[in-house]
Amino acid sequence: MSLQMIIAVLLGISSLAGIYRLVIGPSLTDRVIGLDLLFAIAIAYCLIAAWISERTVYLDVAIGIALTGFVATLAWSHFIQMQSRHQSGGSS
Amino acid sequence: MTIIISILLIVSVIVMLIAATGILRLPNALTRQHAATKAATLSVSLIVFGLMFQVIHHDWGWEWLARLGILLLVLLITLPLAAHALGRSAVVEVTSKAHKSS
Repeated sequence: MSLQMIIAVLLGISSLAGIYRLVIGPSLTDRVIGLDLLFAIAIAYCLIAAWISERTVYLDVAIGIALTGFVATLAWSHFIQMQSRHQSGGSS
Repeated sequence: MTIIISILLIVSVIVMLIAATGILRLPNALTRQHAATKAATLSVSLIVFGLMFQVIHHDWGWEWLARLGILLLVLLITLPLAAHALGRSAVVEVTSKAHKSS
């Protein structure tokens, strides 16, 4: 069992925490934080896959996942801010 | 060289497990964001550095180094910005709930 396989298993274990926070998170921001951790773990998985298979295609996939995750996190956080300001402005 | 690469990989996985523990155990959204985003940035950057050492050691070519450099630049620019946006949305959500309940 090589070192990359052990690292893939440990990354899978730590992705369980992100999935838990994505499903059970009490507030909307907690779910987005779990999604952000899952994006980081996906980038790490792409790097490990590029390492094992020795192909550069997976590095392009990793760059794409990084950009997509950034835009997704910014959009969700802007949505949460707009929703919270709208709710607090409407109630007062 | 192999020992350096192994140490980088093991430290990165340990940091990622610490991030997972923090995202499970910490009490509210702001501290969870603090645990998750910075540790995940450090962990992915350490894996990129380990792969860079591997590429230099085995002489796999400049395509690997160019793509890894672009990936490291993108990560170090975008992940702190995402962390800032998440912290801001956590604060705004908590304060709007406090306004609504009072």
